[in-house]
Amino acid sequence: MNSQAALQTTNRIFAAILGGYAFTWGFSVLGITSLVALGIDFHEAETGLSLIAFLVFLGLFLWTFAAKSMIRVWLVLAGGSAVMMLIGTFLQNSLLS
Amino acid sequence: MFNSLRMSMGWVHTWMGLVLGFVLMICFFFGALSVFDREIDRWAIPDTRFEPQPMPSFDKVLKPIYQQLRPDPVDLAATERRVIGSLPDPETLKLESLFAYTTHRDPVLLIGGEFAIPNQPIDPADDHQHVHGRATVNPATGELLNDDALKIGSDWFYPMHFSLNFNWMMVGYWIVGLAALVMLAGLVSGVIIHRKIFREFFTFRPWKNLFRSSLDLHNMTGVVALPFHFFFAFTALVIFASNIYLPVTHTTLKPLHEHHEKLEAARTGLPHEPAGVAAPLASVDAMVAEAKRRWSERDMAGEVGFLSMNHLGDENGYVSIYRAGSDRVALVGEGIHFKASTGEVIREEPPRSVVSSIDEFLTGLHLQHFEHWMLRWFYVFGGLLGAICIATGFVLFVEKRKAGHAKTGSQGSRIVDALAVTTVTGMVLAAVGMLVANRLLPADLLGKGHWEQTAFWSVWGLAFLHAVWRSSPVAKARHNPAWREQSLVLGLMSLCAVGLNWLTTGDHLIKTVFTDTYWAVAGVDLSLIVTALIAFFAAAKLRAPVSEQKTDNALSRNKQVNAYD
Amino acid sequence: MTETIWLIAAVMAALLSMSWLALAYESHWQQVFPDTGTLPNSSRLKLTGWVFLLLSAVFCLNADHPSMAVLVWVMLLAVAAFSVAMMLSHRPAILKVICPQLFAVRA
Repeated sequence: MNSQAALQTTNRIFAAILGGYAFTWGFSVLGITSLVALGIDFHEAETGLSLIAFLVFLGLFLWTFAAKSMIRVWLVLAGGSAVMMLIGTFLQNSLLS
Repeated sequence: MFNSLRMSMGWVHTWMGLVLGFVLMICFFFGALSVFDREIDRWAIPDTRFEPQPMPSFDKVLKPIYQQLRPDPVDLAATERRVIGSLPDPETLKLESLFAYTTHRDPVLLIGGEFAIPNQPIDPADDHQHVHGRATVNPATGELLNDDALKIGSDWFYPMHFSLNFNWMMVGYWIVGLAALVMLAGLVSGVIIHRKIFREFFTFRPWKNLFRSSLDLHNMTGVVALPFHFFFAFTALVIFASNIYLPVTHTTLKPLHEHHEKLEAARTGLPHEPAGVAAPLASVDAMVAEAKRRWSERDMAGEVGFLSMNHLGDENGYVSIYRAGSDRVALVGEGIHFKASTGEVIREEPPRSVVSSIDEFLTGLHLQHFEHWMLRWFYVFGGLLGAICIATGFVLFVEKRKAGHAKTGSQGSRIVDALAVTTVTGMVLAAVGMLVANRLLPADLLGKGHWEQTAFWSVWGLAFLHAVWRSSPVAKARHNPAWREQSLVLGLMSLCAVGLNWLTTGDHLIKTVFTDTYWAVAGVDLSLIVTALIAFFAAAKLRAPVSEQKTDNALSRNKQVNAYD
Repeated sequence: MTETIWLIAAVMAALLSMSWLALAYESHWQQVFPDTGTLPNSSRLKLTGWVFLLLSAVFCLNADHPSMAVLVWVMLLAVAAFSVAMMLSHRPAILKVICPQLFAVRA
């Protein structure tokens, strides 16, 4: 495998594992805080998100390899994670104030 | 990077499947053994070869045993690093909480507790200020089992499958977690790239060349047990989600979590903190009787699976009693909490919500504490099918590439083949080798458990070296003789283990099956004999060398299945 | 005891079901009935196969608590399918027993 291909492969793998994980983390944070804000019991929200989080991660993992544009992949994974973390932590603060 | 969905999924399936496949072999094989972990414990520790019984009386039998419980030295050292000053003499530490745990398959039961320490934590946010202690108890004699007596089933094979027994910084857990995710990706990508999934559902053509017959077997074992493979990998991630893989509520959302804990404590009436006022302990047996009465009333008569006590000796102390879920998929449940000093019921846990029920079902499905022997054996079967799926995956990888690698002089196939031998025959050799060591080493040997672990890793290491040493034919597109050689050794070793059990304990198969029936030990012996038969059968099959010409022809005919790479 | 009987019934139903579903495919039919000039009556075989599949589910539900029965049934299907595949590849003649004339069609 030449270095161009190696770089591409590494990019995909990093995105799939680390990027996917970051998105899943942000998704859980936003998911739990949103449900609690809607009146759902905290423990229920936590359990519910743990059930769907890995399905989301799986979907993203496969999409990362199937997608044409890596720029789009990173935008969605890293960008999405950041946005969801922001909103989620903001929600947590307002729930606790 | 890829031209189509099939190509991208093919890449994921082949390459991520290959790399994590070596880890997944361990998960599936030791997972399959874990179904009968306690039975393997009985085989390994002959002193515990008696019948299981329900949780014994706390007041009469268990209570005095807790006096013998001591802080675990490893946890003591780890805790000392997290607190200011040095810890007091371990002999003087007092228990602030305890638990007792048993299932329908345990003659011995597990007890443990947390010891309070006066030291302040170095990091104020660190709220773990106690040292853990754990022990296995023989309820008939009231004695603690020797720490050196390693429970090869539940304390070695079982944790092997979820942590690789590699606990430094939880690295083993994380590798297994990644492997679980890749397993899911492998299953989905496998379905996407497999064109004739229903038409080839029952297809297995062992009379064809190695590549084609391995592909048939790989597809079949993957598809017929697809729900099993998917659910086990998925529930593996869910089980460790909140504590390890996605600890969102212990980090980012910790403030919300703490807030909820306080609300929960207020709502349930289960005090989060001790009161600081001394109080006696009422009769726990009476509490157990009351719990059983309440379960019967709800049409769920049962035994105690788990018992715990918090804030020992304090006014706020409470006793929690959970029902063993032997007749259903959920693990333990229907918890009832009692005020420790008076025995009155503080709270009876309400029926689970929908989300909790689903979670409990998924967890229970994986951890299988239920009493259903046919389903248990089906689980072993499923685990072995998973192992076959992965092992045939390795064979496919090598068979497809070794001719090409032989021409270019690449060592790739050779390396993969050597690693495959190591994680297929080598791994089983390590497990059986450990059992042999267990019978050869004297029962009172100091540190026997550590010696057994050394034997395990050594046998595996030797298998690896042997596999590498014998692998040069693969670089010339032929077969590695290590497969056959290790199969032979495995067969002999398995029979050895059975013989050694007879010699060292007197529990031979006629006795354990017919005259003084004890299925736990008989089952392990019979499984070892079956292993030997399969190993010898494999060795016999592997004797006929496959000619190079036949391999070449077969590979060119199979071009159409090579669409994904 | 009754649990055992229901489970045995479920196992038999599953094995029969998988055998008939397999034989609905011409390739597998030929493995069991080589050179007989017959073809499988696929629709009849598939229908019977699915009916017995559902029957095995009912038997499982009679044996155990529903949450357990579901797991038993799903695993049973895997075991049955694997067993049928092995029979087809090693001893296909065994399956002749469960194939009365009404499942065959003149080629």
